[in-house]
Order: sequence, then C-alpha cells, then structure tokens
Amino acid sequence: MKYNINSIKISFLLAFSAMTILASCNKDLEQITSPAAPEATGSVLGDTLKASANDSLYYRLIIKSGLLPTINNKTTTFTMFVPDNNAMRIFINAASGGLVPLNAPDAVFSGFITANIPAATAAGIVSYNVCPQALTTASIPNSFPNFQYPSILNPAPALSALLRLTTFPTTRNGAWLNNVPITAVNLGAYNGVIHHTAFVVTPPQRYLWDRINSDAGLTYLKAAIIRADSGTAAPGFLQGALLNIGANLTVFAPTDAAFQATLTGAIYQALVAMGVPPATALAQATALASSPTVFSNPALYSVLTAQTVKGIVVYHLLGSRAFTNNFPTTTTSYRTLLNSAVPTHPGIDLTAVFGVPFVSSATVKGIANATAASVVINASPLTPDPSGTSDQHYLNGVLHKINQVLLPQ
Amino acid sequence: MRKVTSHLVAFLLTNLFTVTAFAQEISISGNVKNSNTNEATGAVSVSIKGTTEGTFTDDKGNFKLSVKSLPVTLLISSVGYELKEITVNNASQFSDVKLKPSSALGQEIVVSASRVPQKIMESPVSIERVSAAAIRTAPAASFYDVVTSLKGVDVTTSSLTFKTPTTRGFNSSGNTRFNQLVDGMDNMAPGLNFSVASIIGLSELDVDNMELLSGASSALYGPGGMNGTLLMTSKNPFKYQGFSFLVKVGMMHTDGRQRDLSAYNNWNVRWAKKISEKFAFKINMELISAKDWQGTDYRNYARAATNGAVKAGDRQSDPNYDGINVYGDETTAEIRSAVLNAIGASAAPFLKNFIDTLNGGRAINVSRTGYTEKEVTNPNTVNYKLAGSLHYKVTSNTEAVLAAYWGTGSTVYTGSERYSLKDFKMGQYKFELNNKNWSFRAYTTQENAGESYNTTVATRLFNETWKPSGGATGWFSQYAQTYLGARLNGLSDPDAHTAARATADVGRPLASSEQFKKAYDGIRKKPISQGGALLLDKSDLYSVEGNYNLTHITKAFADVIVGVNYKKYVLNSEGTLFADSAGTIGIGEFGAYLQASRKLMDRISITASGRYDKNQNFKGRFTPRATLLFKVKENNNIRLSYQTAYRFPSNQQQYINLGVGSVRLIGGNEGFATLFNFAGNPLYDFEDLRKGNFNKVNVQQLKPESLSSFEIGYKGLLMQSKMLVDLYGYFGQYQDFLGRRVTVQSNSGGPIALSDTSLGNRLSIPVNSTDKVKTYGFGLSFDYRLPRNFTIGANAASDILTDVPTNFVAYFNAPKYKVNASFGNSGFGKAKRLGFNINYRWTQGFLYQGDFATGNLPDVQTLDAQISLKLPSTKSILKLGANNLLNQYYYNAIGNSQIGGLYYLSFGYNIY
Repeated sequence: MKYNINSIKISFLLAFSAMTILASCNKDLEQITSPAAPEATGSVLGDTLKASANDSLYYRLIIKSGLLPTINNKTTTFTMFVPDNNAMRIFINAASGGLVPLNAPDAVFSGFITANIPAATAAGIVSYNVCPQALTTASIPNSFPNFQYPSILNPAPALSALLRLTTFPTTRNGAWLNNVPITAVNLGAYNGVIHHTAFVVTPPQRYLWDRINSDAGLTYLKAAIIRADSGTAAPGFLQGALLNIGANLTVFAPTDAAFQATLTGAIYQALVAMGVPPATALAQATALASSPTVFSNPALYSVLTAQTVKGIVVYHLLGSRAFTNNFPTTTTSYRTLLNSAVPTHPGIDLTAVFGVPFVSSATVKGIANATAASVVINASPLTPDPSGTSDQHYLNGVLHKINQVLLPQ
Repeated sequence: MRKVTSHLVAFLLTNLFTVTAFAQEISISGNVKNSNTNEATGAVSVSIKGTTEGTFTDDKGNFKLSVKSLPVTLLISSVGYELKEITVNNASQFSDVKLKPSSALGQEIVVSASRVPQKIMESPVSIERVSAAAIRTAPAASFYDVVTSLKGVDVTTSSLTFKTPTTRGFNSSGNTRFNQLVDGMDNMAPGLNFSVASIIGLSELDVDNMELLSGASSALYGPGGMNGTLLMTSKNPFKYQGFSFLVKVGMMHTDGRQRDLSAYNNWNVRWAKKISEKFAFKINMELISAKDWQGTDYRNYARAATNGAVKAGDRQSDPNYDGINVYGDETTAEIRSAVLNAIGASAAPFLKNFIDTLNGGRAINVSRTGYTEKEVTNPNTVNYKLAGSLHYKVTSNTEAVLAAYWGTGSTVYTGSERYSLKDFKMGQYKFELNNKNWSFRAYTTQENAGESYNTTVATRLFNETWKPSGGATGWFSQYAQTYLGARLNGLSDPDAHTAARATADVGRPLASSEQFKKAYDGIRKKPISQGGALLLDKSDLYSVEGNYNLTHITKAFADVIVGVNYKKYVLNSEGTLFADSAGTIGIGEFGAYLQASRKLMDRISITASGRYDKNQNFKGRFTPRATLLFKVKENNNIRLSYQTAYRFPSNQQQYINLGVGSVRLIGGNEGFATLFNFAGNPLYDFEDLRKGNFNKVNVQQLKPESLSSFEIGYKGLLMQSKMLVDLYGYFGQYQDFLGRRVTVQSNSGGPIALSDTSLGNRLSIPVNSTDKVKTYGFGLSFDYRLPRNFTIGANAASDILTDVPTNFVAYFNAPKYKVNASFGNSGFGKAKRLGFNINYRWTQGFLYQGDFATGNLPDVQTLDAQISLKLPSTKSILKLGANNLLNQYYYNAIGNSQIGGLYYLSFGYNIY
C-alpha cells in the first residue's frame, strides 16, 4: 500500500512537472518594429561655430543676439547661413560707417559687435539666417521660381505665431541665399547644417510699396499704381498687395524717365492720329507726360483707363521673388501677374549675364517692346535699400529698376 | 403552414389523452449504494424489465416503485456502473442494492448523432460527450470550458464569460456556423446572431450532458451547424432530485498585470423535487461575478477595408497610431490636405514651400488620442442565470415540460468592433411534450440587448463631445497649426507631433474624471439611431417543431423518423442595428426532414436522411446525409458519412444597417438597393479604387452557403478494452461562401472619383464568394485506463484550409495542429476520496482574421488542474483548481481579452 501511494505520488509529480515544463511560457504577440533612426553625431551648431576660427565674429554676433541657447538646443534642428569672418568684417566696416577699417584686428570687430550692434539687430540678422530643419543643398531646388523657405524670424509674433520672414535659397547658377553667394555648403552639426555666405544677409525691413511710395525716381510707377487701383474694390488693390506681408513679388520698376519716354511716344502717336500736326503733338505730348500727374489727368482718362494702366503695371510684376542671380542665362519667358487676367499671355523674357560672382547685366523684354529693357544694376554689389537699383529686397518682394516700360501688346 | 400545425396539434392531443389507468397495488422501495464507497447513489434508473415503467433514485439513493403484481425483474442502471438485474418476489423482503462502478470505456449513450439513443461506440458520425461526472472532475472553472479540451475544438474567448467554441475552422467571437442547442432550443440571440450559451443557458449544476457533433450537421438540426453542433441537456427533475449547491470562490489577476488582484465568485443552486410519480419541478440559479480579463493589445494597427495588419509604432512614435484595444483613435485625418494646404494657400502663402516639404511631401495622417479598453470598459463582469421547469407525466410514456431559462449578463464581445454587452438579457421559454415515439416543442427566445453599446463608436463620439474633430477651432486644426508652428521652430517631426497633440489635447478629460463619466454615459445610453452608441435590440424568435419516430410501424424494413419545424424571427432594433426604423422585420423559416436507418447483415448499419428548408427570403434547399457504420468486431466500428450543411444568410447578413468606424455594414436584402440607390449611385470595389481601378460591383442576390463533407472514422476499444481510440479524417468543400466586401459610393451622388476613397460612402455588403474553398483535417484521441483509477488521455486534431484564392479573406481561424493531454484519477488514497485532473493544451499559432483585427497568434499552451476531496457523508466535493495554472497570458483572437490564471476553491453540496 505504501508502495502504491508512493507510486501514485511519483507518477502525479512526474506528470505534473512534465506538463509544467511544457507549458512554461506563452510567447507574447509579435511586435513589429521599424529600424531606429541613426543617432546624430557631432557638436551642436553653436559649439561647432565656436570651434571654428573663421566664424569667431559671427559667433560673437550670435552671443549678442541671445540666440545661442536656441541653436544649441539638441531637440531642435536648424539650418544656419553663416557669414564668415571676412563677410563680417565687410558688414561691420559698413555698419560703422568705415570707422572700423577692413584691416583692423578681429578684436576690434568683436568689440564693435559687443558694444555697438544692438541686440535686436543682432537677433534680427541671426534669426533671419536660421531656418528650421536641416536643409542641405541637395534639398534646395535649382528651379524657378525660388524656393521660399521660412527663417525663424517672426516680425510680428502678436499678429500670428506662424508669421515668418522667408529666405530664398537656391542652387540655380551656383548656390545663393537671396542674392548672396554661398561659399561653403553642408557643414554638419549635431542638430543641423551650416552653409557659409560670402556676405551678411540682412532681413528686409520695409514693404515694396514703401520704396515705390518714397523713391523720387519711381513717381510715375507710383502714380500708375494709384491710377490702376482707382475704381477697383479693395481686395484687388495693387497697393494692398505691395503692402501685404503675405505677398511674394518681383517688381520691375520702370524709372520715371522710362515712363516719360513711353508716355510721350504714346500720346504723340495718339495726337497725330487725331490730326494734330506732329510738332504740336510732340510739344503737347512732352508737356502731358512731363509729370506723373499724367495718370490723374481727366483729359487722358479715356486713354489711360484704370484697366489699361493696371494691365501695364501687372505686366511688370512676377508672382514670385526673382533676384538677378535667379534669372536664366539663356533668355526664357516667365508669366507675369497679367496672366491671371490673360491666361495665355506669353509673359516677359528674362536674361542675365554673370560676372564674378554677381550678375553684371540683366535684361527684361516685354513682348511688344522692340528691344529689351535693362535692369539698372547696382553701382556697387549688394547696395541695400533704399539706395540700390537692383535686387532691392523687401518684406514682400524684390524690386529691380529697369529703363523701359514693358509693353504687353 | 397553419394546416400542418393544426394537424400536428390534433395528433398530439390524441396521444395525450390516450391515458391508461393504472391499478397500483404493491410498493417496492429500496436504496442504491456504490459498492466501492458505500455512498448513496442518486439518479439511478430503476425500471421494470419488459415495460416502460420505472423511476429514479433520489439524492439519498432511495427509490419507490409500485407494481401490479410480483414477481418482477428490476433493471438497475446508471452511467458509470455495471447493470444489475434483481428479481423481486417479495416486496417486504427487498434489500438494498449495491451497484458496482464500471471501468468500461465507451459505454455512454448519445442521442444527437442520429436523433435516437445509441451507444457512443456505434455513432455513425464523430461525436464527443461530456457527462455530468466529467464536469464534476474537470479541471475547469466553468462547465462550458470543458468543451475546450475536446478533440478538434477551437474556442475564441472574448472575455471571461463570453466564449465561442467551434470545430473544423471558421471560428470567431460570434460564430454563425456552429449551432448551440440548449434543451433542444437554438441558443442564438436572434438579433445579435451569436450563441450565448456561455452566458445565458444552463447553469453548471443542471447540466446532464453535452454532446458535440463535429462537422456538418444541418441534415439533423437545420440551417446553420455548418461546422458543428453543441447540444446541452439539463437534468430531469424526476431523475435528479434534491437540493444542491456549488460555491466557487477564486482569484484572478494575481500578478497585477491587467488590474489588481480580484475575486472570482460563482454560486450555483439547484433544487429539484419529485412531488409525485407524475409531477416534478426544478429551479436553478447561477451567479458569476468577477473583474473581467482585458483586451490589452496596444499594438498599432493599419486598418484597411477587409484585411488590416499590425504595424510598427506606438502613440509616441506614430501620430496616426491606432491601437487595437485603444478606442477613439480610429478617428483620423490627413492634416496636410485637411488643414495645412489651406494655410499655405491663403493665410500664410510664404509657408507653402515649407509645408510641401513636411514629412517628405507625403501624407501626414494623424489620429485622435484614444482611451484604452481598460479606461472605457466596465471592469465588472456579471452573469446571472435563473431557470426553472415543471414536468408532468401525462402518461407513463408522455412527459409534458414547461420550462423557462432566463439570464442577464455584462460582458465584452468582439464583432466588427468591441461591444460592451451591458445588462444583456435573454429568456428562452418552452413547452415540450416527450413521448417514447414522438416529441413536440414550442419555444420562444426573447432577446434584450439592455444597455449594450459599441465601445469603439462610443469613445469616438465621446471625443467629439469634448472637442469636435473638424472646424477652424477643431482638434485637427489645433493640432495641425501647432505642428506647423513647432516645425517652424525647428522641432523634429516626432517632437512637433508631440507638441501638437499636447495642445490639441488640452482639456481632454481623464477617463477617471466625472466629466468623462457623465459625457460617456450620455453617449452610450443614447441609441445609435439618435447619434449615440446604444443598441436597442429586442429581437425575438418563435419556434415550433415536432418529431415522430415511426419505427414501431416501419421496423420491418427500416427505422424511420420524420420531423417538421417552423421558425419566425422578429427583428426589432428600432433602427439601431437593423434597417427596421419603420417597424419590426419578420423572417419565416420552415423545415422538414426524414431519416431512415437499417441494419444489414448484423455488421452494417446505414442511415439516409434528407432535409428540406425554406426561408421566406431564399429559395428552398434540400440537404441529404448518408452514413454507414461497419462493425469490425464488438466495440470496434468504422464509420463513413457524407453530409451536407448549409446556412441561410444570418439575420444580420440580411438586414443589418450599422455604421462601424468608417464603414457601414448593410444587409443583402433587396430593400437595401433602394435604400442606398444602387441603381443611381453604383457601388465600386473599395480596395480596387484605392489602387486607382474603377471596378463597379454588381450586387448579386444573396444565396445560402453550403458545405459538402465526407468523413471516415474509427472508434474502438483496444488492449483488453482499456484503451478507447477514436480517429477521423474529413474533407469538405464550401460553396457560395458568405463573406463581406467593402464597396464605396460617390459622396456627391455624381460619378465616382478617386477622392471617394476618403469622401465616399463606404458600404460593406454581404456577398457569396464564387470561389470554392476546401477544408480537410483529422482528429485522433485515446483514453487509457491505468490501474488504480488513473486515466490518461490525449487527443490531437488538424484543420487545414486549401484552394484559397488570392486576397480572399476566409476567416478560417483554426490552428493547423492542436493537442490536449490529460492525466487524472477519480479516486485514490485510503478511501479513494481524493481525485485530481490535469489537462494540458497546445495550439499552434495561426493567422487570425477578424473584422475587428487581423494578425498572427503565437502558439498557446495552457495547463489546467484540479485536486478534489470527496466527502461522501454529505455527497460533497471540495475542489481546488486552476484554469491556466501557470498564469501564462494568452489571446486566441486578435483584439480579444488576454486570459490569465484563474484559481478557485469550490465546495459542492449534494453533487451527483
């Protein structure tokens, strides 16, 4: 009996332990995993610049701007456009009105940055040269129109948290940020990428209209715009677009002389056609076109209708931002804002000729013009608003003066 | 039909009133005991040889019988004991009877295989039987779980109390291809279309036996039963008398993985009394309460029209995360097209280029933040059953039964979504007449979905209440703007999504908050038809059936049984489930069958049967069945069968009209063509449209699906009758297989466009597959009686689906192989009072396909065990048991609750 009980116990234990072992574990449901992203390497952006001898002046500007913690934040990714020390010297030389000579020791430039450049100015420059996310040249298109990429500069945070000033990087005709050449590209950092620029790229301050409204050489254009807007409902105002931060335009601004010449010719021909003797017609035409009031002269309302003038003005506007370095080197047609009214219009022809490194000459041709108009290229490269004549950059566009009125038909 | 019924009633009444008057003069009384243990043995049949008269011992083993004259020969028999014949010459000198327990295997009597009692050894089709004795000693917390260990059975567990068994594949949480009959009544909830025997049916103490027919069985039990039929039979109060109770207390969640340690309570009470030789009654009650298992599958799921898949990612890494058991996160939007493009086009054109570069220019899909099942589902599962019956012997051959079975429960069920069945109620009420040669049954099933609701829909709607998804200040707009701003500030894509979610989720109520509870309750209690999530199902079934065994007339050439039945479904969901907002929908179904069997040359028995069924919405269908049993030698039989089965499209497949997520499930009834204007706004295949192909769907009239099945089997006693072996192999072919197809209609009513993949009306329509799928498989089992009451057994089965066309979703849901092994002893120790049982189960992993979720299930092993002590003086049993002893959590369907260990101690009084 004892044996029996033992054998029962043994067999029970054997069976139980065998089943226990067998049933030892159920696998969990299969987990699907995706490959982990490669870990970033290197120093953060600020530290990378700090370690670079040729970026010491810009690093000083960053410190002044108070944005060092921003660019050193490991959880954020930025693209930085960084003017090297040479570019910074040129910038400070100009900013100091020549007081800091180009050949001054770097300590002098550093001292000037620390002492004389307001923090807000420094922050404006640095933040305008920082874009969110890593933007290598491979992801910057070379197409036209330009790639409009926001910087981290919000000019009016109270208006909208999403408001940003935008930059215009391109790899067309070389690598550029707006109209400034990029000299070295794709320098890596833990939290982003750095491109060097040959000059300091400053954020635009004003609207296109501010320039047109105040430029003594663009009074006809201003008058034409006002005439074009007369009788138009507010949303269609050209002036409104030229004052809208959301707009993105290129204005080919015929100089007053260009307007005078075109208007004189047109009025003269109209008068001759009406039977006015040529000499009288010339005198009258010259007199009529001698002032921008030509657009507000009631006698000419039937000729210079708001619609006609608007047609001419919008023929001078591109719905994108084209610096001269974005122009094609072989003549190419581009649609203008006129195409929103006349969709099949062939547009204008643009061509640029490059010097080193900037554009030495550029032309714009309307389809009814006999010859192409020339862009009035800056006397010295990168002449900023308000004294420059080409690549004048504003919050909502770029303006080039040209020497002819473009004729759409 | 009315004429048939009236004839039937007249016939039955004639039988009823042909009552023979008895002259009862001599009374024999005695007591029956187990010769081994000397314990009184109840429910032992004591009958007078050569007559139909007899009685049963009561719970104390006593019996009393009146006879006209002496001597008589008494036949004393009970399952598990050897038959005893005693000749009584003098009633006063009659002494007590001792019955010797029998260790013979395979001697049980089954009824369901041929609708007449026969030895299980001689069943012509595969059948498994679970006796009350087996339930008593099973290592299972609930009698229903015993089915799991039977050969070839797969069980889908939705929750603690909601389990769906089937055989031969095609299992799901609400299986419509497997019939479950409780005391002859179809246990399917008429509206919800799944059997609810695990929550509303017999209570454990009242189960006399369960018989499981694997494979097609329509020829005997009518439409449905494509894959098998489970018949549960309760104890007759004439036979099983007395007061019994069974109290189980246990614990679950012992490791705190899903929730804190919680109690499991299962209380059973049964009281049956024979008032006289003519009248008996019984009352049953069962209460189960516990904290339920939970669906805790938080893996990310890619929802597609018919065949989704688990994918990488979680709430942190995937903005469009859609957790399987997380609800509310099914609401998704592509924020680039929904919000960001508009910002780039007008409000902030200077950001257009930047927006275009986000996420590499690809779609930015975002889902709302969901709530886990644990947060939104009532943790308490309660199940209460109440049943009673009155039995009256109209004659010695005819018993009238009036019975009621009522139950209510709160549990969780998986359909196309997860549903909380809250205060679900169902009653089944029947009147039955059973004669030696015929039977008549009329019953009704009354369903009430209570406060049942769709958890997924309720949670999605809840999200809309605290913050609407759409609109300029809606959740997605807030999300998209914050995301854009964060990206503009240099944040990485994941960090920007995190920031966006944090902003959009400002004000999101915690699931534990009063605000949540109040709003959630408001939604789940509002009918679906009024924009809530509440199902208002009060569908009913009315059924009448009769069988007549003509063998006493036809025995010269064959044993013949005939039968008829009529069913009427009344669908009533007030537009919350069916297209019945205008009024209830009635569906009538009629059937008749004839079965003839004959023995040839003493070794061969053949049976042929045929059944005709007609549903008012479908053409009539004839299903034949033929079986052959070849007796190799005594207790060794080879069986062959050809069976057909079919089912009419379920009530839901005919009439459902229910929006689930982004798809609306509709029925196949012709009325839907008008309701949804198929002619004016045609349906296109959704998957094809997503691939850019315009594939117009011509909606065909639905047909019943059918199955033809061949089976060969062997059952025999080997090794000096100590080993019972059963094996079978089968082959089946399904035709007109019923499934669903997701189609899409133009949103605008104009011509279909590619944009309709997101904007169009997605309609899931029931369809018959034109492809034939085949299944085959086998099963084998052995049970061996070792010395000293030890038993060892094992079974294995395999089910395989083949010829599956590409992209065809069959929902086969069966492991290729599964194995059960058991070891036990019904009485050992000094007084043979100790018992134990261990059951090990292994099922191979397989691809589970479900409307709710599809994915691979791993292999599952479970170990159940019990050890028990009998207390013969009070006929009591103390049992310590465990389901899933090793607490190895497992799922048997994607999205269902994950099942852990349940440990219990039970005490049963007067258990027999």
